[in-house]
Amino acid sequence: MPKGSLTLSPDGRQATLELIAAVIDQPKWPAYEAPYLPAVMSLKVVWKATDEKVLINDKEKHFRFEGFRAIAQAEARVSVPSLDFSWRSDPLKTSHAEFAIIGTEVNGKYFDEYEKS
Amino acid sequence: MDISKDREFQKVTGISRRQLLGSGACLIAGASLLFSRTAAGITPEWSAPSNGSTDPYPIPWLDKNGSHNQSPGPGMEPSSIYHFKGHVARCNGFTGIGTDSQNNRVTFGAPSTDFSFMEGEYFAARQERRGAFSHI
Repeated sequence: MPKGSLTLSPDGRQATLELIAAVIDQPKWPAYEAPYLPAVMSLKVVWKATDEKVLINDKEKHFRFEGFRAIAQAEARVSVPSLDFSWRSDPLKTSHAEFAIIGTEVNGKYFDEYEKS
Repeated sequence: MDISKDREFQKVTGISRRQLLGSGACLIAGASLLFSRTAAGITPEWSAPSNGSTDPYPIPWLDKNGSHNQSPGPGMEPSSIYHFKGHVARCNGFTGIGTDSQNNRVTFGAPSTDFSFMEGEYFAARQERRGAFSHI
């Protein structure tokens, strides 16, 4: 993603992702060869860790996550120029995510190295 | 099979890799054909060592749509890239509302509305690399 899109607090407990991306509007996805239209999306997501710790150490899938359950909120704008359609969400604080986590992960070869250390 | 490589192969050797692999003599015939072409001064365009793409590897696990993705949730792998170590965050199940260009109030969010970022070190093309990626 473009430089500057991600702001991470020094302790890793809070993050802000801000992106403007060329996307597609494809209402019939995941239907095979579903028609689509070019669109533009701007997005801001904020994660803030709670005090609830989360540890997942999955030896079968070779990954380890260590972090916290989080509160996540998002605001977005979408436009589909060819349809003369646009949409803008209410401010960030009005949204709510049912599930969110933030932390650190090692997987694949880095998980194997972690397990050996 | 990589179709672009197949076309390159066909351009250099005059036969497709599918035809060659189907012949039952692929290794010997392939080596012979390539040697004769190289000896004649025709260097295959794809003769450089292949180290793979510098793009990160996707996680091996597939979701219900066959994508290398895991829906966020307890116990699920947060990262979408493999051979990775670093910061990661994931979220889904958004509820919210907004306004469209016709001034209609339209809700947003579904279990499949998930966002994430991965920032740190990953291994690709035989080297450790650094990068930041998002899933939107």
